[in-house]
Amino acid sequence: MTPTLKMKPNTYDFYLIVLTSAVLAIIGLVCLYGIGYYTYTTETIPQWTQYPMYGDYIDSMNQYIYPFVVLLLVALGLCIPKRIVPRQSLLASGISILAVTILIALVTDIGTSLAFLLAVSIVVQAVVMVLTMLGRGGLTYEREGYFVQTGSSMLHLGTVIFVLDFVSFRTSELHLSVFWVATILITVGTMLSFYPGEVGRIVRLLRSGGGNS
Amino acid sequence: MSYQEYLAARETITTIGQPVITFILIISLLLGAVSLYHMFTRDKRAYTLSAQLRKTSTVLLVIGFIIIAWFHLRIYQTIELVYPPELANYMAADMGVSATSLRFAVPLWIENEKLYFWTLCISIFLVVTNFQYNFLRSEVASLFSSAMNIMLAAFGLLTYYTSNPFNEPLPGLHSEIAGWYAATVATDPNVLYGTLYQLYFRIIYYYNSEYMWTHPPMLFIAYASLVITFVGCVFMLFRREKIFDRISYNHAKFGYLLLTVGMLIGYPWAVVAWEGKDWWWDPKVNGSIMMWVLYSAYLHSRIYLKRRNMWQVTAILGIICFISLVFTYLLTYIAPGIHAISQ
Repeated sequence: MTPTLKMKPNTYDFYLIVLTSAVLAIIGLVCLYGIGYYTYTTETIPQWTQYPMYGDYIDSMNQYIYPFVVLLLVALGLCIPKRIVPRQSLLASGISILAVTILIALVTDIGTSLAFLLAVSIVVQAVVMVLTMLGRGGLTYEREGYFVQTGSSMLHLGTVIFVLDFVSFRTSELHLSVFWVATILITVGTMLSFYPGEVGRIVRLLRSGGGNS
Repeated sequence: MSYQEYLAARETITTIGQPVITFILIISLLLGAVSLYHMFTRDKRAYTLSAQLRKTSTVLLVIGFIIIAWFHLRIYQTIELVYPPELANYMAADMGVSATSLRFAVPLWIENEKLYFWTLCISIFLVVTNFQYNFLRSEVASLFSSAMNIMLAAFGLLTYYTSNPFNEPLPGLHSEIAGWYAATVATDPNVLYGTLYQLYFRIIYYYNSEYMWTHPPMLFIAYASLVITFVGCVFMLFRREKIFDRISYNHAKFGYLLLTVGMLIGYPWAVVAWEGKDWWWDPKVNGSIMMWVLYSAYLHSRIYLKRRNMWQVTAILGIICFISLVFTYLLTYIAPGIHAISQ
């Protein structure tokens, strides 16, 4: 067992947050590079987006972003309530999935490996969301914690579906339908995560009203 | 209803609106000066006066917004684009669209109205925040309130000098309406057909689009909320007071929710309206993603606020986020791409 696996839950969560924040910040830097590149290239070659070099730029931006999207997906996969899945199993499975993803990328291509990671992530996040909604792991309905965890799992699942939509469905007819599914999950998930107290009050009010009628 | 009535409405909005925005400028100058004075002297009378000025500013901004809304209503009522049957039939056969007549249902946050709307939202947030928190409870809290007033004053000044919606109301839309009117009196019918054809897509995918009514206002309300987060983060850098974090975080949550939904709503709009155009990874898209991921990082770091150094880290992240927000807003004006104002 590595020292990482012996970390206290609080330390584990903290480093996970640090990892997530760092990955997000790096994605921000890649975007900043994109702004600079696009602006500079337009200055030097005004109609460059009409030429194949625009396609090359899109490809290179995707290539720069992909590794950090992979890291973000892995971090999301590790960010599961410990009451639902034990931390040690989570870390071990997370590392294994990352290893398989890298292996697939080396044997085939980045797109296939990302599709694999996204498929696994969706299954994991969907299972977590269902378990959370069913109240597994001592999460009690109508409590703030319940809504925070449910919202968080919806948000994570929505984010993974959103990435999948862009990676695998951009040219598909299902593209916008999948997009709206992800959008609804992200929106509702964010609302539940940010305003659990308010949602809890509304639910209690509705339930008490229903009981009286 | 006619083009002349539209021109009269345009003149009226300038006649009525200019004094209102001039008052907003004067009140903003006073608000900034009095709030600054309070920050230096801690004089409670100055704080009370600044509260009155802030309320006056909000009332004036609301009046100005009502005038803008009236003008938009008049545009809708006075301008009607009628499609001749031969053009309507051609468009139905060629494009599969049904074009008989169209009116401009223009949202209240386009062109030089954007900054005004943003300022109005900030003032409303300040009304709500001052209602929720008693800033006179402590001296440092009242300083925070004055700093927010200074931000509102700064936005008032910026609106007047850089984006006055009453000076030349909606110049882009006006040139399109004027172009359409010129085409209606042109001798060659093809000029009118060409103009009507082009305007159909401008109206459907831009001016009257349901996305135009939802995507930008969500972002501007989010931006306004995040202005208050920024002020809170600046204060967090200097002092460890719970109220700074609470106000910052509450506004960040609300701002982030609207930012996320607003940005997401922009995507299907881009797919439909910019089909076949080169918009992906353009500077505004890059900037928006950058701003969103930075705010995500801020909200993540805020979870561990009580850990060593995390108070400062969160505050610095909040400030960086706001810099990225302003930068992203300005990208429309300073960077190339399909979002650029010159497009």
